[in-house]
Amino acid sequence: MSWIPFKIGQPRKQIVSKTVERDFEREYEKLQKLEEQTKKLHKDMKKSTEADLAMSKAAVKISGDLLSNPLCEQDQAFLESMNALDTAMKRMDAFNQEKVNQIQKTVIDPLKKYSNVFPSLNMAVKRREQALQDYKRLQSKVEKYEEKEKTGPIMVKLHQAREELKPVREDFEAKNKQLLDEMPKFYNSRIDYFQPSFEALIRAQVVYFTEMHNIFTDLTDQIDQGGLTDEQRKQENEAKLNELRALSIVADD
Amino acid sequence: MANSPKPNVTLKAEKEIREEKDGAKEMDEPAEDEEDEEERKARATARERDAQRQLMTIEELVQTERNYLKHLQLCTVTIHSNLQKLQPPPPNLEIMFQHIDEVMDVSSRLLSLLDQTQIHHSDPKYLETLCDSFLSLSQDIEMAYKEYLANYNNITALENSYKQKEALWAEMVRIVKSSAPDVNASTLSFFLVMPVQRIARYPLLLQTIQKHTDPGHPAYPLLEHAAHTAVQINCRINEYKRFREVADKYKKTENLTIKDKINRLSAHSIAKKTARFSQYIKHETGMVPKLKDEEFEALAGFFFVLESGVSELHDNLEAYLHHLQRFLRCRPEEADLDLEGDKTALFSKEISVALRQWIYPSYEERLKTLVFKPLSSLRELMAGPRNLICKRQDKLLDYELIEEKSNLSFEEQAIANTYKTMNTLLLTELPQFNGKALQILWASLEAFSALQRDLAADMEQLATSFTHQLTHSLLEDGEFWKWAETSVLEGSRRMESLCQSVQCVLDAPIVQALNPECESRLKALTTKHGSEKIYQLTGPVVGTRDLDLTLSKGELVAVVSEMDTRGDRRRWLVDAGGPRGYVPALKLVRYHQITTDRPQSPHLRVTPTAPGPRRHSYTPGAQPLTHTITTPCFQVYAGYDFTARSAHEVSLRAGEQVRVVEPHDKRGNKDWSLVEARGQRGYVPSNYLSILPSEIASPSFHYR
Repeated sequence: MSWIPFKIGQPRKQIVSKTVERDFEREYEKLQKLEEQTKKLHKDMKKSTEADLAMSKAAVKISGDLLSNPLCEQDQAFLESMNALDTAMKRMDAFNQEKVNQIQKTVIDPLKKYSNVFPSLNMAVKRREQALQDYKRLQSKVEKYEEKEKTGPIMVKLHQAREELKPVREDFEAKNKQLLDEMPKFYNSRIDYFQPSFEALIRAQVVYFTEMHNIFTDLTDQIDQGGLTDEQRKQENEAKLNELRALSIVADD
Repeated sequence: MANSPKPNVTLKAEKEIREEKDGAKEMDEPAEDEEDEEERKARATARERDAQRQLMTIEELVQTERNYLKHLQLCTVTIHSNLQKLQPPPPNLEIMFQHIDEVMDVSSRLLSLLDQTQIHHSDPKYLETLCDSFLSLSQDIEMAYKEYLANYNNITALENSYKQKEALWAEMVRIVKSSAPDVNASTLSFFLVMPVQRIARYPLLLQTIQKHTDPGHPAYPLLEHAAHTAVQINCRINEYKRFREVADKYKKTENLTIKDKINRLSAHSIAKKTARFSQYIKHETGMVPKLKDEEFEALAGFFFVLESGVSELHDNLEAYLHHLQRFLRCRPEEADLDLEGDKTALFSKEISVALRQWIYPSYEERLKTLVFKPLSSLRELMAGPRNLICKRQDKLLDYELIEEKSNLSFEEQAIANTYKTMNTLLLTELPQFNGKALQILWASLEAFSALQRDLAADMEQLATSFTHQLTHSLLEDGEFWKWAETSVLEGSRRMESLCQSVQCVLDAPIVQALNPECESRLKALTTKHGSEKIYQLTGPVVGTRDLDLTLSKGELVAVVSEMDTRGDRRRWLVDAGGPRGYVPALKLVRYHQITTDRPQSPHLRVTPTAPGPRRHSYTPGAQPLTHTITTPCFQVYAGYDFTARSAHEVSLRAGEQVRVVEPHDKRGNKDWSLVEARGQRGYVPSNYLSILPSEIASPSFHYR
């Protein structure tokens, strides 16, 4: 890999062919990107559900505070409407909480578990790299001895070096093979792994928004008989505010 | 001298040859060039991948448009005519197909524009044509889908009414299934919901193409514009949908005029409220209003209650908006898990994109315009009356002092007049203010409720439109969640076992035989503690505290306790074959004993050639594991020259064969061996001896 400083003492014989090394790197890069994106998705989903819960609680506060306003005490119509609004908000909040719980279990937790596999894989890749370095070192040692004059001590050293090399080579090859097998398998497993999560996410939203739609249709039918368009609402608000502005008691002195 | 690989030209591709040559060259070049080369290659591959993805998405856009049109045609021609033949025909059937012709028309126009050009999909000019066609038709697309979506609720309502009639529904399902045998559909809405999905899909498709397109591409600005337009179209369609919902609802009923609503709260009803209110104030505060100011106190009290209510609501809404904006800032749909092919992931992404790019943003806009801003303005306007009420109070105090007097001075007259004017002004205008402020408050709450309903309606419609195509949509809620949770559990189990299998290979020690020193320690520890307790150091440890051991990688120890005296499970007490102490548990891994079959050469006892603890690697002297040799095929040689310094010793010449008589001296010291060389016997240092396989060291091998 290009980030390893080029050391003197690299073996002449190409231990791992360039194509195999390239394939390895490519698979590993895919995994690294997947790791990054999974972590990002996990973080965003967590933040998004937090904000969602906060919104819901804020909505409940809106209606709760209105309900405890003294205006309710002396206006029956106001009281009834605020009651209805408060009930609607509380029910919506309960459904929202349920939606968030389901999403937590079927989307956010699985995302975390998936992320947790990456450290092991990363460590395995590191160990493979270490094994490769050991292999290269011992290989070049063997080659060094092979080039020297065939004296007795040299032969002894050569034999020793070869014996030392064997298990290290086998270890590297085992690690290399395992990773070349596992990496694409793991990468491809993401589709089946996440399919239930996405389906659950859609379903949770369908359930929640269907309920919310029903609750607020009923509420709006009860308190908003006007049925105005946005333009009409805007005009009405402006008109009233202007009438207020026209009052003398409102003018700044 | 250099061992460059010799490429087999006939078998390998030219590219590979080049790369191998480069590889051979690279080995002699410094590191930076190698890095640049790698980087360039990486960037080139990334560009290639993007280009592929871009092409794939472009083709997907065109292909899915074709399929979509085909399905719509199937529905409107075949299924429609078959349904019409039913006796009796389903009531109001025409309403189901009311606006679909315009949608089909605009879709076929888009496709014909694309088909007319002779350019191939992979040509960069094609992208330009695609965007141009889309943009040129964008207004017509908006018009067609606008009407269709505004009426879609009628379609669902009508289909539900059909479902109520069992016999009719069964017939309809049969017709749908037989008219479209290749499609997995059983309802009309399976087809009729497609325009709802299609219009929402354009933004995602165009944005995906944009993501994989280089900003330097000539058609990039056009592409950006097209993606943006697609989102805008959806926003406007939604607005129109809402507008029509309101308009249709009251087409039949008598339309109450706006003026009537403004006059909902008349002055009379305000007076009634304020009268009651004064009683409330009296009750709560025990206050007795002075100078027949009951009416004033009631009005002022109402005002203050209104003010605090509006203020509180304003602040609560601000908090709500803050969380809403936080929610919109997270964009989980942007994470790219390379799932662009998976259906379910795609649907989820479409919902997310719609939610974050137009449904919630419009909701936020409407919330701000129809609820928050009016309340903000109202709040500001309340400052005036409040100040005036306070001032009046001050003037009242002044007035009280001079009230009883019969003859007032000029200044005293002025004070009296000021008070009276203020009082009258407030008495006249406060009721109006209170009334209108209350109306504004009501209106914003009404709007708030309506906005929630509209948001929910939009989201429900979008999310539900995908449920046809989800695998488990037919399951009841309880069943579905059970399935989802079990699947998720399954998945996590698979992940765990994957983790474990990776760990297994990681932790497997290099299967090597041991040097005699390690062998004896292993034997001793196994005898003393049992083989399950034997662990190996995966790396060197340096003792920092009392009772910590310093050991090297590969050393064998027996675990005495899996925690220290304070219960810390990260420090384990071990026996290192003599010294006892603590090592970090993380550096220990179970050592699995390997049984070795030793060949029967009696000449073995060569100590390690380097002093001190060795790195865990293969050391000479022990035999390779794999052979079971019955006849010695090893020969001991002198590894080095040795000059005898006494009569008990014998000189050696490096490389000559020797025979080991006894691998220790008379006192049992293994450092000296009694050997026979060149007919003479004597002691030599044991570490000057080597064993070699006979083949290598055979006499015919020239080693001098």
